[in-house]
Amino acid sequence: MGRPWHTFRVGRLLLIAIVAAWLVSSGSLSRSAQNSALDLEGNPADPLKMAAGRVVVLVFVRTDCPISNRYAPTVQRLSAAHAGKAVFWLVYPSKAESAESIRKHEREFGYKLPALRDPQRVLVKESQVQITPEVAVFDAARRLVYHGRIDNLYEDIGRARSAATTHELEDAIAATLSGRTLSAGTAPAVGCYISDLE
Amino acid sequence: MTRASQALSGFIALLALASVGFAARHATSRRQANPQPATAAREVTFNRDVAPIVFHNCALCHHPGEAGPFPLLTYADVKSHARQIAFVTDKRIMPPWLPDPGELKFTDELRLSDEQIATLQAWVDQGMLEGSAADLPAKPTFSAGWQLGKPDVIVRAEKPYVLPASGSDSYWNFVFRNPVNRSHWLKAIEIRPGDKRLVHHANILVDREESGRRLEKEPGAGFGGMELIIESEAFDPDSHFLFWKPGSPPYVEPDGMALRLEKNTDLVLNTHFQPSGKPEPIQPTLGLYFTDKPATLHPILIQLDNDRLLDIPPGEKNFLVSDDFTLPVDATILAIYPHAHYLGKDLLALATFPDGTKKTLIHISHWDLNWQAVYRYEDPPLLPKGTTISMRFTYDNSADNVRNPNQPPKRVVAGNRASDEMAHLWLQVLPSESADSSVDPRREIQEALALHHIQNNPDDFEAHYNLAALLQMRGNLSGALLQFSEAVRIRPEDPIANNALGAVLLASGQVEGAIPHLKTALASRPDYFDAHYNLGNALASKGDFGGALTHFRAAVRLNPQDANAEANLGSALAETGNLKEARLHFERALQIDPKNELARENLEQLNRETQGHPN
Repeated sequence: MGRPWHTFRVGRLLLIAIVAAWLVSSGSLSRSAQNSALDLEGNPADPLKMAAGRVVVLVFVRTDCPISNRYAPTVQRLSAAHAGKAVFWLVYPSKAESAESIRKHEREFGYKLPALRDPQRVLVKESQVQITPEVAVFDAARRLVYHGRIDNLYEDIGRARSAATTHELEDAIAATLSGRTLSAGTAPAVGCYISDLE
Repeated sequence: MTRASQALSGFIALLALASVGFAARHATSRRQANPQPATAAREVTFNRDVAPIVFHNCALCHHPGEAGPFPLLTYADVKSHARQIAFVTDKRIMPPWLPDPGELKFTDELRLSDEQIATLQAWVDQGMLEGSAADLPAKPTFSAGWQLGKPDVIVRAEKPYVLPASGSDSYWNFVFRNPVNRSHWLKAIEIRPGDKRLVHHANILVDREESGRRLEKEPGAGFGGMELIIESEAFDPDSHFLFWKPGSPPYVEPDGMALRLEKNTDLVLNTHFQPSGKPEPIQPTLGLYFTDKPATLHPILIQLDNDRLLDIPPGEKNFLVSDDFTLPVDATILAIYPHAHYLGKDLLALATFPDGTKKTLIHISHWDLNWQAVYRYEDPPLLPKGTTISMRFTYDNSADNVRNPNQPPKRVVAGNRASDEMAHLWLQVLPSESADSSVDPRREIQEALALHHIQNNPDDFEAHYNLAALLQMRGNLSGALLQFSEAVRIRPEDPIANNALGAVLLASGQVEGAIPHLKTALASRPDYFDAHYNLGNALASKGDFGGALTHFRAAVRLNPQDANAEANLGSALAETGNLKEARLHFERALQIDPKNELARENLEQLNRETQGHPN
């Protein structure tokens, strides 16, 4: 923390503390596969670094979580609707899930998003998520602006509405894109506990 | 001289059997605030403490190929969902079991004890220890194939239904056409709905009148819809619940309670699905199991409802719908099936005995359409004549009910769509044999029910229709006439009611009165065999043989296997002087049914009259 190159990279004094906090959790330039998310080829991948100034949405999913799977069409639709402005990534926070089983899962559910494995829970921690499906929205300065449910389709496990009436993810993306501060706090996600996973 | 048959066909009753619904289960914990000290103090392991609970209560659905979205058969399986399991069992979301614990027990009860729930919680709190391998009970085994062995007949839906990837719940009906080509006694139907993860439940309806087919856009395609009304011949013992829910083994009817399945009968499978996130083709299969033990016990379905009072203002949180029916005979309740849709909140059924004592038949204080089921009593209670069965259902039409399909809430009335409501309570009862052999206890119940429903709602079409059919069976034609007229008053265009009224008028000699109703029936349903047949008879009996000919020809075209229609067509042809063609149809009638008297007599007469005039 506090190494000189931090400040010039961001260039805005107000953001230093947040960037520094991120560096604590995600390591330094020398970080290895041990403390990074991985792409499906097994290479370390940092979706926030690759965002090139765009808003980043991380969607935490699990292959065998029915609520997570039921959201596939919604996630796909939202990512297409925000193409060019927000970059969506699927994140599988499981040690056990292989790249092959993730590809199969993406095919089956019609996902056309890049996917990452996060066996070390690097992105999980950075996003402060606990559930699948849960989303995290980062602004262009890689500040976490929202994490929680996608919408309120599920009130609780086993208690679903016929259609969602609030749309937290869309609201968070819209607010971030327009530079507004998000007024609503975190809306807890409903689904499967990430901590149950190996 | 030839004569037209006075045989009437096609008395049909409507027995509305609905199926589905949806509603709210407010997950509240009934677990005691403090886990029992014994559990808390002791080390809880998977092998010794958790596996027996999971294997017995969860694995039934949570194994590959079944409804559970992931298997729960090993330590690793259970550990990878451990906190979730602790959460959903604590809230009694899982295992899904709606009835509150009560005096009467149901078979296959899926209810964890408070102690079992505390054990699961303690296991997670203590870090999910595996324990000693020696403690692990045998893993449950499940057969992937037909659960009752190879079925006598297997039928598959002609075309798959493709469940959309997203959206709200789907309701689809598959028509299985004529699964048998002769009569059989059926002891079980195993429903294999396709991917069991998608199907919340399914109901089979026996359809003798092609009601389901008529709703298909193309043959075999099936049709959408949450609730079904199937026309049914009057009071043939259809009084069985043919119900499937995830994890339930196929129900085998006890000896003597087999269901009769005739040829020319369709089975309609009504299913409720929830989207999975990807498009899913679903093509169910049914396995039919026969028995040579015919039915000797004849249960009957009793339906309580009060649809006329089901009119819930928006925002109303506690809307009560009640109905009370007093049994006219002694009867044993075998099973119970309460049903509401998404606004249903608290569903209660009570029995009040003639001495005033009360018994709860079922109480579901957190209704959830998703987990609706037929509940069968472990020790079926006998309710003496004069016992009143009461339905007390409450509904929440406020915005606080997250399952409310209308946001913001709006006025909701009774209806078949998911956004409508239902308040139905079905009971499968076995009437006690009457000492007086001239009294048919089933008919007593049917008649009392029809009168009850008419009292609840003078515009109850089915009740008037059913009462008419019962009176007709008792030979009370004037009573039947009155009730069929009421049915036609309520639904002036209804083809079945108009045909039935026309047929009774015809049977009472009121030919001129019959004809307009039969014509209305045909205007509503041009391919209605029964109405063509009856109108043919009506026209023939007033001497309009040319008119009769048209309708008998239509009848024969619609049902080429009906000997009476062939014989009557022959008769009408003979009356119009076309003896050559008449002969063909008499012969055809006798081919279909060598015992057809009308055809035989007429053919003999034809032979006598045409002796020496071979035209």
